[in-house]
Amino acid sequence: MNATFTLLEMRRITRDWSGMFFTAVLPAFFYLIFGATVDAKGETIGNGNVAMYVMISMAAYGAVTATTSIGGQAALERQQGWGRQLGLTPLPDSSYIAMKSLIAMTVAAVPILLTYALGAATGARGTASAWLLSGLLCLVGSAVFAVYGLLIGTAFRSEAAVGAASGTMVIFAFLGNLFIPLSGVLLTIAKFTPLYGYAALARYPLTEGYLTDGSQDPLWVPVLNVVVWLTIFSLGAVHFVRRGRERQ
Amino acid sequence: MHTTPSPTAASSGEPAIELRDLVKTFRPLRGSTDTVVTAVDGIDLTIGQGEVVAFLGPNGAGKTTTLDMVLGLTEPTSGTARVFGRPPRTAVVGGHVSAVLQTGGLLRDLTVRETVRMIASTYAVTAPVDEVIDRAGLAELSNRRVSKCSGGEQQRLRFALALLPDPRLLVLDEPTAGMDVTARHEFWQTMHADASAGRTVVFATHYLEEADAFADRIVLVAGGRVVADGPTAEIRSRASGRTVTAVVADDAVARATAALFGLPGVTDVRRRGERLAITASDSDAVARILLGELGGRDLEITTAGLEEAFMALTGRSPAQPSPESPPDGIPARRHGVPEEVAR
Repeated sequence: MNATFTLLEMRRITRDWSGMFFTAVLPAFFYLIFGATVDAKGETIGNGNVAMYVMISMAAYGAVTATTSIGGQAALERQQGWGRQLGLTPLPDSSYIAMKSLIAMTVAAVPILLTYALGAATGARGTASAWLLSGLLCLVGSAVFAVYGLLIGTAFRSEAAVGAASGTMVIFAFLGNLFIPLSGVLLTIAKFTPLYGYAALARYPLTEGYLTDGSQDPLWVPVLNVVVWLTIFSLGAVHFVRRGRERQ
Repeated sequence: MHTTPSPTAASSGEPAIELRDLVKTFRPLRGSTDTVVTAVDGIDLTIGQGEVVAFLGPNGAGKTTTLDMVLGLTEPTSGTARVFGRPPRTAVVGGHVSAVLQTGGLLRDLTVRETVRMIASTYAVTAPVDEVIDRAGLAELSNRRVSKCSGGEQQRLRFALALLPDPRLLVLDEPTAGMDVTARHEFWQTMHADASAGRTVVFATHYLEEADAFADRIVLVAGGRVVADGPTAEIRSRASGRTVTAVVADDAVARATAALFGLPGVTDVRRRGERLAITASDSDAVARILLGELGGRDLEITTAGLEEAFMALTGRSPAQPSPESPPDGIPARRHGVPEEVAR
């Protein structure tokens, strides 16, 4: 670990104001619209209330937008010659990955903290353990989407593709039962989409698996979803990293 | 330009670079019909400490691939590369070798100074950041974003990064590619100013003039092999043919041709439309007689390009690789094969 390197990278990322707006402010704004202002926000769900349910969903959405973008940018930087420049220094790849992971987690923490702070101020209620565990699960689980960003960045090699990858998070969030409560066929389909497992896990300390339509997911459903998608993203990323090397 | 190695360097005695039967092949892209590409086809080369050596060759000759192996960025398919007697990656980690790469390699949204600080932080010991910025002539620009720097300024920044570990071997891969004449001139001035420390410098270029102006020794590379290697003066004298052309009246052509062939150093005289083109080592003497007693006008003198140098040095056109050469080792513009993009 290298403090100067990490801090300079952090400063560089926070310089991108529009990017920071979409990762940090947009989810908090969504929470205010979908969570804090709805009539049912005070109704009880598991170990808390509806406002908290929406708050966790939005924090999760913000966190994955951040990690997808950082993973994608890292892939692009390395392909655009920065990887060669770093290859001329003593910096080992493992340190580079460790620093990038730390940065991704730090940036992902921003929307989580902001949304949780707004939630606490506007009526989200739950047990202490539900607050703490859901926040941690949001943060840790978002790493899966850093791999997704890396995959898109190495596969398509363009800024536009990485921007689009962050953008597709909106679609995955709808499909993954994050923005509006799904039911029936849509809910069944949702369980196969990449954000469903992660968000359901993050909400698990609150809901214990209960969904808004009254049904309950056993714990293995979201866990299996996360494991399968992490495997798909990782295999894809490894495939494209290898293909990129062959091409040199 | 030649400097004596410092006592410590001499006592360690190892050559700066030692390449033994170095080969690098690339597998073709999946789905393409290409065969295996041999980028480097058995290079043997020893470069002593304190030498300033030009790696001269056309695009696709294998220069960048060879230097990548010297820098540990690419693993050889077979053969060995040693830098100061060590494996390349070890030499990089120890700060003994650094490089200015051809393209890319910078983060656009950092400032010049932040970039230098960031790379400096990866070394255990470096020259002071501000001193390096000064030596690369970047003091005025240190707070400018990389994205706002010109190509030449970005190249000076890469040079600053390469100076950070105070390396004993500095590798420059086509350092002036894409620069205009002024920027190119400024870059080499900065290099000259810095070359005092007895550093070993190896640079790749496809400009004969650059090799001529800066190197003690020229290694000519084509088709992944060394085709000529010697002191700059020797290589230049073998490749320094100039072409003089002038408009000569029709009735004077026969007499002019005979007279010109009589001059020492004239190797070729031929007709190109209304102009007469003479290839010679002493272009002054040709020009004098052309404009004087032969009544020529509209005279032009051009220095031999690298292609002509190749023909002079190897006795064959770069467009006609020998049968055992790799299929795309040399760009063959004349035969309609598109020039390979520089890696």
